[in-house]
Amino acid sequence: MDLIGFYARNSGEALGLLGQHLVLVGVATLVAAAIGMPLGVALTRRPRWRGPVLGLANVFQTIPSLALFGFLIPLPFIGGIGARTAIVALVVYALLPIIRNTYTGITGVDPAVREAGLGMGMRDRELLWLVELPLAAPVILAGVRIATVVGVGTATIAAAIGAGGLGVYIFRGVATVNDTLILAGALPAALLALAADAGLSLVERRLRRP
Amino acid sequence: MNGHRRAPRASLPSLVALAALVTACGPRDRLVVGAKNFTESDLLAEIVAQQIERRTGLRVERRLHLGGTFVCHEAIVSGRIDVYVEYSGTALTAVLQRPPLQDPDSVSRIVRAEYASRFDLAWGEPLGFDNTFAVAVRRADAEREGLRTIADLARVAPRWRAGFGYEFLERPDGFTGLARTYGLAFAAPPVAMDLGLTYRALADGRVDVIAGNSTDGLIVALGLTVLEDDRRYFPPYHAAPVVRRAVLERHPAVGRALAELAGRIPDAEMRRLNAQADVEHQDLAVIARAWLAANLP
Repeated sequence: MDLIGFYARNSGEALGLLGQHLVLVGVATLVAAAIGMPLGVALTRRPRWRGPVLGLANVFQTIPSLALFGFLIPLPFIGGIGARTAIVALVVYALLPIIRNTYTGITGVDPAVREAGLGMGMRDRELLWLVELPLAAPVILAGVRIATVVGVGTATIAAAIGAGGLGVYIFRGVATVNDTLILAGALPAALLALAADAGLSLVERRLRRP
Repeated sequence: MNGHRRAPRASLPSLVALAALVTACGPRDRLVVGAKNFTESDLLAEIVAQQIERRTGLRVERRLHLGGTFVCHEAIVSGRIDVYVEYSGTALTAVLQRPPLQDPDSVSRIVRAEYASRFDLAWGEPLGFDNTFAVAVRRADAEREGLRTIADLARVAPRWRAGFGYEFLERPDGFTGLARTYGLAFAAPPVAMDLGLTYRALADGRVDVIAGNSTDGLIVALGLTVLEDDRRYFPPYHAAPVVRRAVLERHPAVGRALAELAGRIPDAEMRRLNAQADVEHQDLAVIARAWLAANLP
């Protein structure tokens, strides 16, 4: 097939784009987790903020990527063109599943268990770290997993703002009506998404086991 | 945005559109004007339609926004439409399947002769503008650095950043040849990005030079300066009305009406008209009527 020949001829470039893709998704997911998990925890302590915060994260999901890039280009620090802007967009898209699953995971902890902790004289901080977070971990990780898998696909749009990644092949292929090029970007992105899903589900299962 | 430059592809929607077109038309005593599926083509079709109506009194039906080059060409060859506006470079490469040529006169000559002999179609007088790639910079930069042509750009290129769409970077008549022809060497390799976003990045100062489409309304809206292709690197895409020769024989007045449009729409004028449609969202028929009243009273 053309595709194998294409990779043989362009292995250096293909690996470079794959590397960029991994960095984009990896950094974006880590940043989204660093923002989303504390936010999710905070929502369990301040239920009144639940509606507005989740609503906002929902709205973020609905912004088309090209429009989001358009808004981001003029902004200082987080804007411009290149990898930083692409990562900001990917973080915006990754927040919802992480916040929501963190919140759902913690509120889903059996009240009896929480009561027992309080009965043992635990303070809120101890309750969170020793009881709620360990029990909610599989659900929270499931949120990170969703964010990662979706992110692998979404990161192909990074190529629209000069940030590289596997999307470069897709954009080139679309621009030149070249199906081999489109597949050269889309196929590894799909495999990467499957691999990320399988890997994280393995971790998740390990966490579920007592 | 620049769909006319792409190779024709028989996509499913366009075939459905063609089928609908074929079944919708019976015997008739009126003219049908077609257009491809982007604003400029629709707008030119409206101008052509109104011009024929005003000058000949014939009834003109509009079949706008058809699915691209392939559909329009098939429709006019089979007599389902009588007139549409095509671009010389597209006719040469996409319809006639010839390699691109740089010289506008050769392109016109070949296209005119082949359209007549192979399809019994008349390639009309060019309308004036050339919808090809346009190397654009911010107006303030052009004035400060005294840039008028792409050759001038080579002087400042080592200090500048370029941002280009993927099509421009990949096409045989795109960036690589341009850089070679003009000896352009930018500070860093050009940033590859979405074409629409390059306009935005240029306006916001994130890049200093882009390659847009020469008749794009955004060039007017964002106050950009298009640098002249003084070494004639880009192949010509001059727009001209294509008409069935049978129609011209039956209604010679149609040919005279279309001849009045020859050369009347230079690049800047087409850009202004596109901006009225795409940026100011005015109605196409209104734009066409105002333009005809002002330019061909």
